[in-house]
Amino acid sequence: MTEEIKPDLEIDLKGLLCPLPMVRVSQNISKIPVGGVLKAVATDPGSLADIPSWARTTGNEVLRVDKGDKLYTFYVKRVK
Amino acid sequence: MAEKTINRELANVINVRLNRQLLYYIDICTRCGLCKDACHQYVATGDVTYLPAYRAELIRRVYKKYFTRTGRFMPSLIEGREPDDRLLDELYRTTYACTGCRRCMYYCPFSIDTTWLLGVAKAMLLEAGRGSPILTELAGAAVMKGENIDLFKDVILESLKDTEKEVQQITGDASAQIPVEKTGAQAMYVALAGTHTILPVAVIFHHARLDWTLSLFEAANYGYFLGDNKLAKTIADRIVDEAKRLQVTQIILSECGHAYRVMKFLYEAWAKEKLPFEVKGIVEVMHELVESGKIKLKKDSIAEAVTYHDPCQVGRNAGFYEEPRSLVKAVSRDYREMTPNREKNWCCGGGGGVVAEPAMDEFRLKTGMKKVEQIRATGARIVVSPCENCRLQLDGLNEKYNLNIKISSLMDLVADNLVAQK
Repeated sequence: MTEEIKPDLEIDLKGLLCPLPMVRVSQNISKIPVGGVLKAVATDPGSLADIPSWARTTGNEVLRVDKGDKLYTFYVKRVK
Repeated sequence: MAEKTINRELANVINVRLNRQLLYYIDICTRCGLCKDACHQYVATGDVTYLPAYRAELIRRVYKKYFTRTGRFMPSLIEGREPDDRLLDELYRTTYACTGCRRCMYYCPFSIDTTWLLGVAKAMLLEAGRGSPILTELAGAAVMKGENIDLFKDVILESLKDTEKEVQQITGDASAQIPVEKTGAQAMYVALAGTHTILPVAVIFHHARLDWTLSLFEAANYGYFLGDNKLAKTIADRIVDEAKRLQVTQIILSECGHAYRVMKFLYEAWAKEKLPFEVKGIVEVMHELVESGKIKLKKDSIAEAVTYHDPCQVGRNAGFYEEPRSLVKAVSRDYREMTPNREKNWCCGGGGGVVAEPAMDEFRLKTGMKKVEQIRATGARIVVSPCENCRLQLDGLNEKYNLNIKISSLMDLVADNLVAQK
């Protein structure tokens, strides 16, 4: 069973294309406390590589990615 | 470090880039002001700090202060300035706002390339540790992807499966493929992140029976927008290395104006090497495929009024005016030209990485007013533009100003209007 992650903030990235999913995640991660989790729901398959790459670059952590029918849900932990 | 020493080091950024071209741009401006009516940002805001001549003047003043005799002893006589916090703040605001459309260069009697001068400004900002944070992050993510492609390859290939099925449905050919990592293919297509720029091209190439392979990397290069040429080259290296490894004879860049500029006009100078393959944009390739009869378009199939927006990096800065128009006109019953157009076309306001800067959202939509006026004047219901940045901006303008238009890529327009091959 998948462990439930309680996000501190949820953002809707549906319909947005690169680079906007990364930009919106970057913009909103600063709104949550360090240790908090941002949930982001995207439709752009490019975000499957982009958001984890962004997280690695900025020192944050993608806890989980749920893949639905052309819907990708990211749980990103603010590390610093 | 003492402030004076820091300022001198920043000023030295100009000195190390000082060649005949830069010196000419620094020396020749007469402040005639003709550039003011050319800049969509100045026209929309009336703010003098967005004047192309003013933006460039900030660099000129630092040059005068440090690298002229009068400037060294009596800088105030020739408006010499230190690159202090105030100047750097102003430089940041006006430099990263510039879309790099180069319309001002076209109107300048001396053809001063303000974008070139602002490249120096960006180098100075980077030296001061004041590069755009979001562009730095986006460029960093691209490098990260390049260095760790094995981590991301599976998700990229998985996302292509659905797209490949769509290609098979559209073409009616169950054997249609999106080839990846195909050694010896004639061409390597470099798409944008995601699959929306892959699907139409895969359909077109299938119709044309082109021998191609898809790059694992995206064409966009945020290192270029950031103004960090070293980083920009590292990002472009991912594509170049892949193309060399696969031994393709040409690479075809997607509808991404700046990506074409980087690869076609800048990369060889940065790398100090001649690329062993040809660099083409998808606009010219689609035009060639139609001209050679490899693909056929449904004539006059679109009844609604259609107009074409010249992306600055495709038109003014790369010279493709008639090729895209011939494709749009071929499928449109009611084609309407914007005025002015081609080399005098107004920038949409979204280039230069501005669409990626959340802090500039309001500014870029305000400064897109000239484009809004142009589109409204045509009465067109469909606006075609072969640049992703332009389309993102046009989407924003459409929503904000209720233009009630559909924005289309040229690739989609062509793919949707192909005559089925026998």
